[in-house]
Amino acid sequence: MSDMASTACFVIVSKNDIPIYDAEVGSAPKKEDQAYQHQFILHAALDVVQDLAWATSAMFLKSVDRFNDLVVSVYVTAGHTRFMLLHDSRSEDGIKSFFQEVHELYIKIFLNPLYLPGSRITSSHFNTKVRALARKYL
Amino acid sequence: MGREVSESCVDGVVMEMVAAYCGRFYAAKPELAAGRIEAIGFQVGHQLSERYTMERPRFTDHLEAIKFICKDFWSELFKKQIDNLKTNHRGTFVLQDNHFRWLTRVSLDPAVESTDATENDSGSLGDSAAQTTSMLLYFPCGLIRGALTNLGIPCAVSADMSNLPACELNHSSP
Repeated sequence: MSDMASTACFVIVSKNDIPIYDAEVGSAPKKEDQAYQHQFILHAALDVVQDLAWATSAMFLKSVDRFNDLVVSVYVTAGHTRFMLLHDSRSEDGIKSFFQEVHELYIKIFLNPLYLPGSRITSSHFNTKVRALARKYL
Repeated sequence: MGREVSESCVDGVVMEMVAAYCGRFYAAKPELAAGRIEAIGFQVGHQLSERYTMERPRFTDHLEAIKFICKDFWSELFKKQIDNLKTNHRGTFVLQDNHFRWLTRVSLDPAVESTDATENDSGSLGDSAAQTTSMLLYFPCGLIRGALTNLGIPCAVSADMSNLPACELNHSSP
């Protein structure tokens, strides 16, 4: 994989449409206004995800929306929690593996009896691992 | 993920939890105790359903989710599937388990000096014994309600144990 600076924004949206986690995981230098734009694009894609999620029983919905040269890929769990990733075109397998590993991490958070489902994920451990996974797969 | 504990531990925890809530925390108010036990079951069911649905494709409609509860979910929890599933096609489902695992070890009357009461004598069920046993059922009711709510089906679950060790669970969505 080439060492170009990549933009990638990762958001986890609960089934009540509340974002419970977000992170800029690209390797490009962080720019403040770009971060807002990324989150806006991801939120706008939620409508499309809603329709697509009911059309299939697969978890990985691949790319659901485009904006300029950025692509939105989505992974939906059985509890209707959506993992959304905004990225410039990457290999699909890498993204699918990324989502699957984040799903495992997410379940570990979920199994914590002190975690209220639907609330923000504040664990720094989770944060570190997600960023490490992003570096590995994206 | 995927570590296991022995079944006697699970039995012990459930029984102690019911005894603690009924006997110590809410001794005079069984309805509050039942509510708390059900709430604990709700959270556990919520979490367990997320974990057990990880490997498999998502559900396309309510019936699939109920079938998942009857087969995979029940097998993971109780090592067997639901024996009978009935529906009135208007939102109520009845799940019947003829040998409900958590009830098979309940011994009946502590005043009787017999030491090996492992199966229930379903003929003579005293009133207080029936109430204690029914307390045990609030936890599995909460489990099912939590699992179904996570899968997107809000519902109410009630249990009925007219003949032990069989047990029927009624779940109705509004």
